[in-house]
Amino acid sequence: MKRTITLSNRIDELTRISSFLKTCADQWGIPAPVALSLNLVMEEAFTNVVQYAYSDNHDHNIDLIIKKEDKELEITLIDDGKQYDPTEEKEPDINLSANDRPIGGLGVFLIKKTMDNVSYFRKDNKNHLVMVKKV
Amino acid sequence: MEINVLQIKDYTSVIIKGRIDSMTAGDFENKIMEILGGGVTKLLLDCSDLTYISSSGLRVFLVAQKKMLATGGVLRICCLKPEIKDIFDISGFSIIFSIFSDVEKATSD
Repeated sequence: MKRTITLSNRIDELTRISSFLKTCADQWGIPAPVALSLNLVMEEAFTNVVQYAYSDNHDHNIDLIIKKEDKELEITLIDDGKQYDPTEEKEPDINLSANDRPIGGLGVFLIKKTMDNVSYFRKDNKNHLVMVKKV
Repeated sequence: MEINVLQIKDYTSVIIKGRIDSMTAGDFENKIMEILGGGVTKLLLDCSDLTYISSSGLRVFLVAQKKMLATGGVLRICCLKPEIKDIFDISGFSIIFSIFSDVEKATSD
């Protein structure tokens, strides 16, 4: 099973992402806690693209695809922004005290920790981020 | 996301309701900073009705904690739902906050 939603590069599209995910979760019987973590992953990936991928003021289409197979949920985000591979992002040190913790830098880390496999490739001038969770 | 503020013993208790995501985190931050700007020394963030948090929301929690530590104040968190607690654990936030299971324990001293 596979569903795709095409989003604009605006943060308020998070509302549509949530309802898109809710529809899939209801129809495919994805348990609520899993749906919540998928929502987190979608938000972090999408927000990164909206905030950092574009240096112009134009509208861009971002495709979000969710695929359910037997024992796997796969989320793919495709954008036409500048080349960026989040899997290469340095992981934060989560053992630091509050005073020493830098502000930010948690988004990609949450994606990696929530999902079982995260991969990236660039094809036809587009970034593809593929995030897989075993269920 | 909405918040309600009430006083419990020495603590200013902020009851957070709903979702803190990239859309609502700015509003949440403004409200928290306004409360801290009022000279609060003991702050409780009651997360009983917090249903979702992303890195944008975690960022505000950390900013508030840094501010409280800098001024010698106390910040406590209570009543995290299990799925929200998981996100705190993954992020290493469970070791940088004092987290309590209920309001009574959080405000006991």
